[in-house]
Formats: sequence, C-alpha cells, structure tokens
Amino acid sequence: MSRIFNQMGVKNNQNKTEQTKISTLLEDLASLESYARDLFSFLPIPVCFISSIGIVLEANPAFGNFSNYEIEEIVGEPTDKFFNPEAIEEISRETFEKSFIKGKEIDLVTKQGKEIPTIVSTVLRKSEEGEIIGYFIALFDLTEIKKTERGIRNAQTALLNMLEDINEEREKTEEEKNKTLAMITNLTDGLLVFDKENKLLLVNPQAQNFLNLEIKKVINKSTSELNEILVFKPLIELFGREIKKIFRQELSLGKKFVLEITTAPFMVDEEKIGTLVIIHDVSREKLVEKMKTEFVSLAAHQLRTPLSAIKWTLKMLLDGDLGKITSEQKEFIDKTYISNERMINLINDLLDVTRIEEGRYLYKPTPTDIEAIVQFVINSYKDEIEKRKIKLDFKKSEKKLPHVRVDVEKIKLAIQNLIDNAIRYNPAGGKVIINLKQSDDGIEFSVKDSGIGIPKEQQARIFTKFFRALNATRIDTEGSGLGLYITKNIVEAHGGEIWFKSKENEGSTFYFNLPITPPREKFEEFIKKF
Amino acid sequence: MTKEEIISKAIAQNLIKIPGQVRGVAFKTDAEYILKEKIEEDLKKLETELEKLGYPIKYKEIQTMSFYPIGLRLISLLLIKKIFNFDDKKINDIGFRATKKSLIIKLFIQYFLSLRRVFFDEAPKIWQKHYTIGKLIPTELNEERKYGILRLENFNLHPLYCCYLTGYFSGIGHMIIKSPKITVEEIKCVFRGDDCHEFLIKWE
Repeated sequence: MSRIFNQMGVKNNQNKTEQTKISTLLEDLASLESYARDLFSFLPIPVCFISSIGIVLEANPAFGNFSNYEIEEIVGEPTDKFFNPEAIEEISRETFEKSFIKGKEIDLVTKQGKEIPTIVSTVLRKSEEGEIIGYFIALFDLTEIKKTERGIRNAQTALLNMLEDINEEREKTEEEKNKTLAMITNLTDGLLVFDKENKLLLVNPQAQNFLNLEIKKVINKSTSELNEILVFKPLIELFGREIKKIFRQELSLGKKFVLEITTAPFMVDEEKIGTLVIIHDVSREKLVEKMKTEFVSLAAHQLRTPLSAIKWTLKMLLDGDLGKITSEQKEFIDKTYISNERMINLINDLLDVTRIEEGRYLYKPTPTDIEAIVQFVINSYKDEIEKRKIKLDFKKSEKKLPHVRVDVEKIKLAIQNLIDNAIRYNPAGGKVIINLKQSDDGIEFSVKDSGIGIPKEQQARIFTKFFRALNATRIDTEGSGLGLYITKNIVEAHGGEIWFKSKENEGSTFYFNLPITPPREKFEEFIKKF
Repeated sequence: MTKEEIISKAIAQNLIKIPGQVRGVAFKTDAEYILKEKIEEDLKKLETELEKLGYPIKYKEIQTMSFYPIGLRLISLLLIKKIFNFDDKKINDIGFRATKKSLIIKLFIQYFLSLRRVFFDEAPKIWQKHYTIGKLIPTELNEERKYGILRLENFNLHPLYCCYLTGYFSGIGHMIIKSPKITVEEIKCVFRGDDCHEFLIKWE
C-alpha cells in the first residue's frame, strides 16, 4: 500500500514537474512572441512576407505606414494589390531561382494609388523539408533618390543644352569672325588693328600693299617698335604712339602717293579694347583735284585779262571819254559794268581758292588792330546799309584790345565776307550786330543778323566750296558759294576757329576766334593740306 | 438578471462550465479588434462587465499561447456583441481579422504550401492548436470546381460562435487561395438540428 502510495506520490511529483516545465515553456514562448513582434514592429524598413502563391501573409507596421494600408488590409491580400503584377512576378521568379535578390527596382502602389519608387531585397524562406514557403521582401524608398536623380538628370540636360547653345554660339561667332575677316581682307581700304596695349594685331592685304609691309616683321609689335620701321615712321608720327583719334588726315608718301588716315578706337562698355586704323588711298582724287585746280587757275587768269580790258573800256564809255552817251545807253552800260565787276570778283575768288589749294596763299602776318579792320569794312558798306535801311550796331570792346598778328588783307577779306552775308541775306530794315571782344585765348569776332538763316539740314555743308543754302539762292542768284569757304580757310590759316549758330527765318550769328600770335607751324601744316 | 447585468451571473456560471479550453490568442485578437474599432475605454468597459460576472481578466495580460476556459471566451464574445451592439456580420469580421493577427496562424504559415495540404493536413492541426474540444474534419476539396467542405464535430458551443468561425475560415481561405472572391457559408449547424457543423468554402 505504502508502495502504492509512494508510487502515487512519485506520479504526482512527476505531473507537477511536467506542469512546471509546460508553464515555463509557455512563458518562454510568450516572451519569444513578444520579442519577435517587437523586433518586427520596430523595423523601420517596410518588410512583408509573401507566400509561394503570391499572397501577403505578414507585414510590419513600417510597410503599413509606407503603403498607407492597415495591416488587416495587407495580410491575406495578393501582391498585385501593392505592386505591378509583372514586376512582382519577375521578383518572385528570381527569388525562387537565386534564393535572394539585392537592389531591384519596383514601384509600390499605395492605398491612394500613388506609385512610390522602391529598391527591394528579398530572401527565400524554406521549410525544414526544403520546400519553398515564400519569401521576405524589404523595401527601400527611392523617392528622394529619384528626385535627386531627376534633379541631376535635369541639371545634366540643362548643362547639355547650355553646351549645345555655347557650341552654337561659338559656331556663330566663328562664322561672324570668318565673315569679318573676309570683309577685312577684301576691303579696298587698308586696315591696321591694334590691341589696347597698342600692339599691331592685324594687317589686311591692302594695308600690306599700301605700306609695302612684311607681316612677320610688324605683327605683335608696339607703336614704339613700329616707329623704328621706316615705312611706319610717318604713320606713327601722324597718330602718335598712343594712337590718338584722327579723322581723314592726309599722309604723303611720295609726290603722287597720298593716303588718308582715320583712327577709330573700338570700345566695350566704355573701355577701349583696341584701335582701328583705316588707310584710304586718295592719290587719284588728289591728282584729279590738282588738275582741276590748275585748270580753274589757268582759266581764271585767262579770263581776268579780257575782263579787265572790258572793265576799263566800259569805264571810259561811262566817263564820256569816248564821247557823249544817252541816258538809255548809260543805263545799259551801267548794268554791263556791274555784271563785269561781279565776274571779276568771282574770278578773284576762284583765284584765291586755287591759291589756297595750291598752297600759294601768301601769308604776311603783322601786328594789327582788328577793330580798325572791322571799322574799315563797316565803313565800306555804309551806302549799302543806308540804302537797305539796315540797323547796324558795332559793339566794341570796353577795354583796348591787343594787336593781333594777322595778314591784314586776308583777315579783311574774311570779315568782309561775313558782314557782306549778314547784310545781303537780311531783309530791308533788318538788324546786324557786330561784336568784338577779347576771349580767353585771343580775339573773338561775331556778326549777328536777323536774316533768312540757314536751314538745319544744310548747316553741315555751309563751309563747303561752292555750296549755297537753298533759301540764299532764292534771294540772290549771283553768289559764288566761295565766301565762307575762303573765310574758314583764312581763319584756320591764322590758327583760329570759326563757327556759327543759325535758325531758319530767324537769322544767323557767325563767330571766329583768332589767337594773338598765330603759330606759324599751324599755318604751314594747314597749307600743306592743299 | 439585474437591470445592470448584460448577461446574468447564472447564465455565465453555466457557460463557464462548458468543458474545453481555447488559446489566449482568441482573447487577444478580440481585444485588438475592439481597440481598432472602439477606444481603450470600451475595452475597459468589457473588462468591468467580466469582473462584475466574477471573471476579473485583463486582456493585455492574457498569454497568447496559454489555454483558457472556452466558456470564458464565449462569455467574452457574448458581452462584446451586447455591449457594443455588434451584429452577426461584425462577429464574423472579428473571426476574419483574427486570422491576420493570430500568432498561431503565423506559425502555420510555413505549411501553407498547397491548398490540398493545408486543407486536409494542416486545418485539423490548426484547430487542435487552438481548441481542446471539437474536431475539424476536411471532407471534400474540389479545386477544379473551386470549393471545399470542413466539418466540425462535437463543438456545440453557441450559435454566435458559428458566426465567428465562418469569418475565421474565410480569413484562412484568403491566405491560402489566390482569388478575388472567397466566401464561407455554414451549410450545416447543430443549432439548426444537424448532427454537426459544416462550412462550405467557395472561391472564384
């Protein structure tokens, strides 16, 4: 009995031990479950387990958050709900073949239908018997990377476009450069291009020809270095080593070879980046002009002798030296005499012009009282002024003006021409104001009229030889168009300046300024031009 | 039954006497459903009602793998229905969702290799892993015609449990059959005079 009881006691003890073991195992299992659940829940990467037939059997909360589905809406659902069927099929097939996949791209479709680019890794799960149960799939969100990638791709495209544009621009520039070079090469004028340091960059074939240059010896040379080369010396002397701005200045390289030189700086944003020297061959024009001047001179001389003979004959007739004439005859002869006088004046003007142009215009400067000359000219117009009732006012300087070294006859002619115009192109009863004063650098003379004025569009040509303004020709058909040309040349020959202000129908004011002592070399330089 | 009592203590005492046990996971999935559909206070309300009946259980403290009286589970389910005014469809849904959270189901996932194997070999095991009473017998599977029949014997618990099990079998069906539509219907029931329960699983 006792043995039976003992045996029962043992059995009871065994049962208790078994129960304790089971209880411990259950607790361990619960802990393990809690651990596995926490681990799976904690994983920040979306993970799910997909069965071999393509059903999601498990998903962690990260997958739920990523897809915006509740876990209950994920588990038990086919993978097609979350991925493109073909793409997930391909991933499944590859996983079954290779046991795992690393870094394959697939889009996850969220509950809202949004496609999120992801990169996935998978690992196959097999049963203890080696049968495929399914696979785990972990997703990595590529949205930001794709965005960056898109940004890079866009930047790359933009860069390529920019490069394309630059190439296009470069080609255009190259084309433009070629065009410019072709133009420069084929230009009939000679061209020299200097950089901003005044080094010779380019010589076109015409310049090479005009100056008989050897390109190799002159290119990249500074103006200082070029000044040592014989053929360049006169050119550098003309525009200086700093290449000052000059406009159509003549350069004689021999008796019959005359070049006209113009320099033009080229600027970018008000910064000088180089200078262009344009060389124009005016030899032929000069020759033609010379021949023309010689012809005019010859013709004028030839005409002056018979015109003088006519003048004295007419004078004798008018004075009654050749017998009494009727008043009707006198009237005709008077008109003929005046016309003849005009003709003689014209011839004299023409001769003056030819003298200027041939450099034979005599220059005998002597210290002179300009005021006396002006007064003399005004007096010579006294009858005309009275006849036409012109109100002439001569405003003299309050203080005594210094004597000026001038060629009296020439300056008298210049003043006469200006006063003559002021009276001639003024209506009867008009005003003429003559002003003489000391200026900063000499004596300034001006004559203001209330006459017809010069039309604005014709003002630029007013000092040109034979030019007459249109409104002037309507009033007086007899003018030669040489007066202002001669006046300008006389003033400039004295180192002076001449200018004017004028408004059509309101009048004109002509000014000139003479230095007290004209620089002789200036006169000579001036004369050289003709 | 007092006015305050949802289920009378006498009924509860009868139910608790039903032989058999069920794994804690069933209580856990019920609690998760309530927390999902309701709020924390509602779960406490349920616990209070259980306490009033003399069963002061805390759902969060229940161990998933431990066994608890099946009568207690039935009391819990009846209280859930009455407190939250759940209809049969909701009870069915509790069963359906339980499969998606159940640890035991997860443990059996590795055997979900073929429908036939799950149906004939694993389903009875899954039942046994959950319940100490009743016997689940797969009687028919026609994959060509897309249906299967599961018979449940010796499980005369309560008609409400039939709703729960219909949802539960449907959830498992979704895990093993890739189909856009899966339905489960209880075609035989002991509470309708049959000798057992039979569940017809159909899919498209």
